[in-house]
Order: sequence, then structure tokens, then C-alpha cells
Amino acid sequence: MREAWSDALVTSFREVMNRLSHIAPRVLAMLTLILLGWAVAGLASRLAVRLSRVVDLDARCARWGLTAGLARSGLAQLPSLAVGRLIFWTIFCVALLMGIEALEMPATAGLVAGVIRFLPNLVIATLVWTAGWLLANFMAQAVLIAAVNAQIAFAPLIAGAIRWLVLIFAGAAVLTQLGIAREMVLLTFGIAFGGSVLALALAFGFGGKELAREILESRLRKEDQNDDHMTHV
Amino acid sequence: MVEPIGDADLLTDGDLRAVAALGSVDVLVGVPARNQSRSVTHVLEVVRTGLTTALADRKSAVVVLAAGFQDETLDAVKGWAASRPSQPPVCCVRIAGPPSRSRVMLGLLDILRRLESPACALADAGLVSLTPETLRCLVQPILAGEADYVSPAYTHTVAEGTLTTNLLAPMCRALYGRRIQQLLGGCAAVSQRIAARLLDTHASPGDPTDDGLEMRLLIETLASGERIVEVHAGRKTLDAGLTPPDLATTLAQTVGPFFRLMDRYREVWSEIGGSVSVPRIGEPPSILPEVGEVQLDRMVRGFRLGLKDLLPIWEQVLQEETLGLLYPLGLLSPDEFVFPVEHWARVAVDFAVASHERRLPRGHLPRALTPLYLGRVAAFLRETQGASPARIVTALEAIGGAFEAAKPGLAARWR
Repeated sequence: MREAWSDALVTSFREVMNRLSHIAPRVLAMLTLILLGWAVAGLASRLAVRLSRVVDLDARCARWGLTAGLARSGLAQLPSLAVGRLIFWTIFCVALLMGIEALEMPATAGLVAGVIRFLPNLVIATLVWTAGWLLANFMAQAVLIAAVNAQIAFAPLIAGAIRWLVLIFAGAAVLTQLGIAREMVLLTFGIAFGGSVLALALAFGFGGKELAREILESRLRKEDQNDDHMTHV
Repeated sequence: MVEPIGDADLLTDGDLRAVAALGSVDVLVGVPARNQSRSVTHVLEVVRTGLTTALADRKSAVVVLAAGFQDETLDAVKGWAASRPSQPPVCCVRIAGPPSRSRVMLGLLDILRRLESPACALADAGLVSLTPETLRCLVQPILAGEADYVSPAYTHTVAEGTLTTNLLAPMCRALYGRRIQQLLGGCAAVSQRIAARLLDTHASPGDPTDDGLEMRLLIETLASGERIVEVHAGRKTLDAGLTPPDLATTLAQTVGPFFRLMDRYREVWSEIGGSVSVPRIGEPPSILPEVGEVQLDRMVRGFRLGLKDLLPIWEQVLQEETLGLLYPLGLLSPDEFVFPVEHWARVAVDFAVASHERRLPRGHLPRALTPLYLGRVAAFLRETQGASPARIVTALEAIGGAFEAAKPGLAARWR
């Protein structure tokens, strides 16, 4: 009884130690890779920021209007710091992938290959989202200015609706590109978009009949309305 | 023969041959037109009369320049020219490419250089108030070598040319040191020298100041310190059938290029201090206190709406102190509405700096100025409505003074 208990204990301990001896170097390798990656990413990031400052990237971007463009899009960050961060996260993500691959676990087998295969889609999706984001901000701003200049009430509401419409459209395009629930996205987007347009048309047709008439009349009789005896130039 | 300028696709071979057939002329009159078949023949009749009477001793030619394929102006001109004597010769040119006023101007300057004409008068096809005498007064100082640019000065009411009186002219005065009444007067005369200089320094068709080429002619003259003269041209009347662009577009077409030209001439204007009057030919133009039917309350409403809804955009453009000055104005009723000139000058300076730093997209920035401009004009009209001419002059002088006072701050912020 005692021997059997002792054997089971020893065997179990040996197996665990055996497995640990197999896994430990891999875990150590993973930690080393991640730590090394973090250190290299930090160094490269700092180097990139310094180099960017040496070549006066911030001032150049300000002159070219890139800084203002990023600020308009909500990225109120100096371009040199943005470059540094981009480099840091790129290197760190690569190191992280290498670390996970070093584990050689069945669950992570082929992860790097899969990520690399997925990378083009990810890049395209990022570009689509960036373009959609910029376009949404640009269009919302244009609509807001035009609506306020036309003295239309609820101008921010209209501009916000335009921004979300473009963002939702870009989001749907991104999900489709990534292949995430493609059918569901298409169906949801189609139903939501078509339904919204129909609802708006009905609401405007029935509820805002008078308003529609007023808008059309004011448009068509613009000359009568703008009868101010003034010229600007 | 001078080589074509960079934008070689402006004139077709047929047009170039027609231009070359005009030969050498002393006076070239350019008539830019765009969908102005209604008024162009009237303007041409005035030009013809002016050239054959007041300038009969000079060899002259007229070039009508139209842009866009849908334009029927040239057909109207050809029909008119067929029934008139052949002197002075009238040449019709259709500027290729997208219809833009600056392309038309570029085409005219190119023709001026090709013909080596010492003087060029510019008369908008919609300027029905042009007279033969005005044309003579515009051209004569150039031919006599007394000026390189002749600008019209109009008698006007306080409600006419408010963008010019409240922004363009005072800012031009503060920047370039000369008190000129019109920046885009619808007619002008320019010497070969200025035209050639502008063509030589014209970068490319994609130049961001392209759409301000007409204004640039004047500013090039001011910046280069060349002689400039004003001519009293009576009242300015444009063809009533023309549909003017909406106010925001007008701002985008005038204030936008003006701000962008500040980048080009920065080294010049940053060195200039104070301002002087421009020599004038003829009686000084009057300013009439009539305001006419103007909806001041609508303008004030536009300003208030801007203050409420455009604030996120103005926050990107205006300094905090400037915004702080504007908030109390939003509480004023139309009857007591004021927009002090010092505040207005600060607003203009902030917008100019924002344009320089490209804080908003190119088309958005001047359009975002619209409610502020409406507020300023409402205050200006309230102040000058029914006022004596002396008081109106004082009000205009105060605007110019405020812009001059704001200039050092502008120069300091221009990195």
C-alpha cells in the first residue's frame, strides 16, 4: 500500500518534472523573446523619435498640414511620437508572435503563419478604416458648416448622422474584408441601411410634408428671399 | 514669339493662330466671360466705343475669353461682331479644361505676353456699368508709363461690397501698406511688366494660389512696390440676370485665396508698417448711407447659430481669448448688436493664421467664417445706416486702423 502510494507520488512528480523540463526552456525562450522584443522595441522607438526630431519631422509635418490633419481626426499627437509608437508596437507584436511560436504548443502551432497569411487583409482593413474615419470627419465638418451657413436648425445632428453613416459603412467594409461574420454584416447592414432610408423617406413624406414644401419653396424662391440690397465683393 | 507658359493646354492651336493674327497692339482689352451671353454684348459695345473714340490713336484689340463647353457667350459675341465694323478686331477664345476664372486670367496674361501689348485692360463681361470714359481712364496711366496697375474706385452704399470694406481692403491695407478700395473691382488695367512677372513666378497649374490669380495681379503690384493708381469709376452695376454664388462660396473664392497669398508674400508684408493712400484720378468716390432692404435680424441669427453650432470648428481656428470676446455678442439682440472692429480684426488674424497652419481643410476654413462675417456686417450696417458721410469714413478708417493694430500680432504668430 505504502509502496504503491510512494510509486504513484514519484511517478507523478517525475512526469510533472519531465513535462516542466520540456516546457520550461520554451517558456523561458518565450519570456526572453518578449523581454528582448520589448527592449529592442523601446530602443528602436527612442531612436526613431530622435531621428525624426533630427530631421525636423514635426515642423515639416506642421508645414505640410499633416499634424493639423491628424489633430482634426482626433490624433492630437506629435508625428515624431506617433512614428516612435508605431515602431514600438510593430517590433513588440513581432516579438510576441515569436514568443508564442516558441512555446510550440498545439494550440499555437501555425499561429505565425496564420497571422502572416492574414496580414494583407489586416493592412487593407486598417487602410479602409483610416480612410473611412478621415472621410467621416471631413464630410461631417463640411455638412456642419454648410448647414449652419444655410441657417438650418439641428445642424450638429445632421453632421453627426453623416459621420456615423460613413463610419458604419466603413466598419461594415472592414468586417467584410476581414471575413468576420460576412453574411451577417451584409445582411445587417443592408437591412439597417435600407430600413433607415425608407423610414426617413416615410417620415419626411408624411410627417414633414409641410417642411418639405417650405424647403423646396425657399430653394426655388431663393432670389425672392435673398432680396437684401447688398453685395459682398 | 514667347514660349507658352506651363499650362500649355489653355489655348488650342486654332485660338493661338487667331490671337497671332491680331498682330502687335498697344491696348489689349480682355473680357473674361462665363455664361454671360446676356450682358457681354453690352460690355463689348462700350469697349468698342471707348477704343474707337477715347483711344482712337492707339492700335487695339479685344479678346473675349470663355471657359466651359456649355457656355453660349462666344456664340453671342460672334453674332454681335458680325454686324459691327472690323475695328477693333475681336477675338474669341475658349479656355480648355475645367472652367475656372483663374484659368481664364492665365489665358489672358499669356495672350498679353504673346502680343507684347504694353497695356491690358480687364473688363468683366457682367460689368454693365462700364463706360468708354472709365476704360480710357484705366488704360491711359499705363500707356503714359505712370502706373503698372490701375484699379477702379466706386461710389457705393454702405451695403455694397461689405466683404471688401470690412475684410479684404482693411487687411490688404494692413499687410501691404496701401489703402486701395477694390481688390476685385470687375475691371482694371495692368502693364505688360506686371503680367510678365506674374507669369514668370507662376508655379504650375496646381499652385494653391491658382484660384486667386486675379487678386494676385494686384497683390504682386503692391508687393513689388510698383506704381498703382485708382480711377473713379462711378457706381458699380453687375448684370442683374447673373445669379451670384452663395455667401460661403464667395468667401471661399475671395478670402481663401487672399489668405493663401499671404504665404507667398510673407517676406514682403512682414516688413511693412503703416499705410498710405493710393494716387487717384478723378473725383473721390462717395459713400452713401443707404442700406436698403437688408435683413439685419437674419444676419444676427446666422451669427448666433454659428456661435452655438460651429463652436467645435471655431475652437480649432480661434484663440481662446478671441472666443471669449465673442461669447457676450451672442447675447445681444439685433437692435443692440455690435461687433467691435478690434474683435473682428482678431477674428480675421486667427483665421489667417489657421489658414497658414492648415488647421482646417482648404475649402472649409473660409466657409466657417461666414457666420462671423454676417455678424460683423450686421454691426457695420447698424452703425453706418443713415450716418453722415464723415461718420461712415470714420467707421471705415476704424476698421483699417484695427487691422493695422493687429498686424504685429499676426506677424509674430506666422511661423
